[in-house]
Amino acid sequence: MAGVVRRIFANLPRINTCNYVKTPLLSILPSVTSKFYSNVPTPYEIVDAQEDRKTYQGVIDNVNRQVAEKKQGRLFAVVHVAGKQVKITEGDVFIVEGYWPPDAGDKISLDKVLLVGASDFTLIGRPLVQRGLVRVEATVIEKNVSHTKTHFRKKRRKQYMRINFYRTPRTMVRVNRIEIVGEVNHPPAVTGLETRIF
Amino acid sequence: MSNSHLFLKSGFIRTPSQNGVGRYVCQLQRVVLKFCKNNGSSRGMRDFIESGLVDFAKNNPGIVVYLKPRRHRTAVISAEYLNGDKQYINCRNFAKEEIIKWLNLLKTQSGNTTGFRYRKLLHTDHPSIQGPWTPYTFKDPAENLAKFPDQDLSRPKHLPKTATEELLELFQRSSLGSPEGKRAE
Repeated sequence: MAGVVRRIFANLPRINTCNYVKTPLLSILPSVTSKFYSNVPTPYEIVDAQEDRKTYQGVIDNVNRQVAEKKQGRLFAVVHVAGKQVKITEGDVFIVEGYWPPDAGDKISLDKVLLVGASDFTLIGRPLVQRGLVRVEATVIEKNVSHTKTHFRKKRRKQYMRINFYRTPRTMVRVNRIEIVGEVNHPPAVTGLETRIF
Repeated sequence: MSNSHLFLKSGFIRTPSQNGVGRYVCQLQRVVLKFCKNNGSSRGMRDFIESGLVDFAKNNPGIVVYLKPRRHRTAVISAEYLNGDKQYINCRNFAKEEIIKWLNLLKTQSGNTTGFRYRKLLHTDHPSIQGPWTPYTFKDPAENLAKFPDQDLSRPKHLPKTATEELLELFQRSSLGSPEGKRAE
């Protein structure tokens, strides 16, 4: 049994700071096994908030310093576009399928950023990273339709056969720039005004 | 059912001369509208030429527009692109709106991609920035030093509890098993 307990913990994320305390495993396990979902967020609980802040502030300071000195290197981002998530970096081209209003030549900014990363750090949004922290600019370079796709249905012995041909609209987008413009964990006092028109 | 899709040309996203990196360049070079002056099948084309063509040409100074009347022939749009592609669209019995729609499509395309299947909807020159995943990423480095055969590591990851273990647990939870429970009695 002890072996099993250790193996399960090995699969959970490890945090090697002393201000976390492992909650007893038995309190987690029944909820996992008996219900479909669990409200237990994590098997760790914060004992000392002050101590905890000290730990993560150091990490965030490091990230901010790297960004300020422009030493972060190439950034990548996961953005939410037209109902799908794409992992992009500067210079990428991706295709958005289905009807999407932007026209060829339009410059757009992709605002729903779910994640930004460099080689040394990753900023994960819950679900989006803080508004105004990252700027992702892109250009629409092509709008066309896909090749003809066949939608064929047949039921055997039922004299039923349908054949449909369709082409879906596609939009090709070039990513021009990804950059961190704000400060991590330090949002401006008033947000949401960037896109408002008064 | 046709098997034509089996022989579709396929490939990856190609963009002519890094379009959109600095600025966007319209890839449509020349468009020729062919129509008949009398026939009813070119009616929509004639309507478009009367009402919408001048606007189209004004709004798109980079595109050369030719008109070619031909007697008793179907209306056709022929488009030529900067990469040398040529595309014909048969406009028999098309309404004016349909012609506008197809012209807009030709304008925003970068070449003739009909009959071309994209294998990936994403092109990147930098597939991984933090390094690609391997089976050893995020693994406990202590496992490097493990000597095999190792009883702990060879066990299945999630073993269901055996009946004996459950009984033992029940016993331990009951007042008989725990020393506190005994004291409480």
